[in-house]
Amino acid sequence: MAIPLEQLPAAQESESRFDFNEISVRCAADKRLAEAVTRNSLNQHVGRQAQMAALPDAEGLRELAGRIKQHAIENLDYYLEQLRQAVTRSGGQVHLVSTAEQARELITAIADRAGCKRVVKSKSMVSEEIALGHHLENHGLEVVETDLGEFIVQISHDKPSHLVLPIIHKTRASVGKLFAEYFHTPYTDDPATLSGQARLHLRNKFRRADFGMTGGNFLVAETGHVCVVENEGNARQSLTTPRVLVSLVGIEKIVPRLSDLAVMLKLLARSATGQPMTVYTNIFGGPRQPGEKDGPEEFHLVLIDNGRTEILADEQYRETLRCIRCGACLNACPVYRKIGGHSYGSVYPGPIGALITPLFEGLKKYQDLPQASSLCGACYEACPVKIDIPKHLLQMRRDIVSRHIKSAPERLVYQAWAWVLRSPRLYAIVNQLQKWHLRRSAKGTGWVSKLPPVASGWTKIRDMPAPAAKTFHQLWKGRK
Amino acid sequence: MSEESNVIEDVRKALHRRQPLEQPPTPPALSEPLIRLVHSDLGLPELFTKSATNAKMHVEACAAEELPGRIGQFLREQKCHKIGLPISPLLEKLNVLRSLQAAGFDAQCWDNITLDAAYDLDAGITDVYAAVAETGSLVIRPNPGHGRALSLVPPIHIAVVEPKNIVPDLVDLFQKMQRDGVANNTTIITGPSKTADIEGVLVTGMHGPGYVQVYLLR
Repeated sequence: MAIPLEQLPAAQESESRFDFNEISVRCAADKRLAEAVTRNSLNQHVGRQAQMAALPDAEGLRELAGRIKQHAIENLDYYLEQLRQAVTRSGGQVHLVSTAEQARELITAIADRAGCKRVVKSKSMVSEEIALGHHLENHGLEVVETDLGEFIVQISHDKPSHLVLPIIHKTRASVGKLFAEYFHTPYTDDPATLSGQARLHLRNKFRRADFGMTGGNFLVAETGHVCVVENEGNARQSLTTPRVLVSLVGIEKIVPRLSDLAVMLKLLARSATGQPMTVYTNIFGGPRQPGEKDGPEEFHLVLIDNGRTEILADEQYRETLRCIRCGACLNACPVYRKIGGHSYGSVYPGPIGALITPLFEGLKKYQDLPQASSLCGACYEACPVKIDIPKHLLQMRRDIVSRHIKSAPERLVYQAWAWVLRSPRLYAIVNQLQKWHLRRSAKGTGWVSKLPPVASGWTKIRDMPAPAAKTFHQLWKGRK
Repeated sequence: MSEESNVIEDVRKALHRRQPLEQPPTPPALSEPLIRLVHSDLGLPELFTKSATNAKMHVEACAAEELPGRIGQFLREQKCHKIGLPISPLLEKLNVLRSLQAAGFDAQCWDNITLDAAYDLDAGITDVYAAVAETGSLVIRPNPGHGRALSLVPPIHIAVVEPKNIVPDLVDLFQKMQRDGVANNTTIITGPSKTADIEGVLVTGMHGPGYVQVYLLR
């Protein structure tokens, strides 16, 4: 990516308003980035459409998947208790934590108590959400991201820009340069060679690791299992080789029954990458059994709230907790494809990010994100659990108005405008004034290149056509 | 660390419930015609072969008595020498270990292999807990005689599938797992390990086996 990430405002640290406009304009202006993101996300989008079209009743399956997830979150207290008991029966330890800080402290304490030093981590959005990797490193542990994309993100001190394809914004040349420096090898931009270099490096890490970490795509309440899907095999090694395994999962990932996985798995990979199934579907819950020579000796399931119960309490937005983080809405979104994931200023990009980031981090700070959508509905059409994202974004825009989140001058302008619109006469007068002013600023060119302060954003990167000499009302009156 | 936060209490409050549910909630019914993609038990080996091939695994039909010879020939072609196997009634019955040893391969059973040594194997040969015709998947359920690493860390995985292992649909797999008692670890394998993280270019053999050879017994 052309914009060094250090220059982007740190999303977590400041309470001031996140400046979406500034960042997204910069990202959209980066032709190479836009091209890479557009090409890759479109590929995934087309793959998903082909796979879904091949299902006999994709609509029915999405409907059912949405209902299963909705049922699970609406009975989450029951299913969390059931899950806890089931995992405990299999010999695992379940920890329920409310905040990011509690989760970070707990996980470092588990590592300390077991005397672990070398952490292999597989890709997990929730660990990004609580910046777990950095915390463990600061605590003196060696932490290695083992998913190829996440590994590249880690060694380039970057941030992921897509839920499923973390380095969608990077070119093979930039990875080649990075690896040549990191591994002290001759430069190559061949993806197979580069992947091979990372494989060797990470294989040695796996071999020596004593602490494995995964996230979870689903939690099965009835049987006490975590389900993690992946293509590379790094999650599978993270949960096989180290003697201690910790899975950190958001509480909303629960499904009631093992057989619900049949429904969810048929949709997840198709929606995410256009595959019928991912290469590895890991279903696990508990330490190795007596006599086994591999697999974790200790298994900890850390279930984290971190703002989820607040969303649960708000019936209006509750269904956003259905999200299975497949990334289909990102790939489908014309706005995401133009501006890329970093523009959203948080861990969760794209349409679903525009929706849940304000819910997690506060609407005041992220008031621009609900506007980052044309409400075209492509995200809703793509969502495998049928979250009505456009509806919620629109509702959030209403919340911004009703909760007086916009600045006082902006509110005043809209109030004045609403007042003008209520009277046809006043409207005609203001309209004439506006027309006169705009035509004057166009200076006969037909284009206005600078609007007055309230609307100046419109002409920042493009001109506006000047209004016609006669308004529609005037033409209508003068018709024969 | 013993300090347990009240997440379940918080959830209950968020759902506006005063106390725990008295009856277990009833999840949405899973209508089989809707969730099933494979409706018949007929032609499962053919369907499995087709799906597994689509998932970029190499499937060959094989008579039981030919198996050790076929595996040996494949291993020679792939220049594999160090081979790992689980303790498995099927592989034992087919005499795979002794045949390979007699043919000069350094073949060992899991009880003679450490996890660390598994990283040096050229290939792992396993039986399967099940195979899924719908997706072409191999299902591995480890046990003390069958290490998880055998089908994971060597660059080549050879799987031996019997027709009776094949279930039609993922729905059937989960029903079977439920019937058998769910183990602490089950892996569904659908293809060789792969990544497309760099510019969407497909590369196989990222962290797991880059080549999966399946012998489907007749």
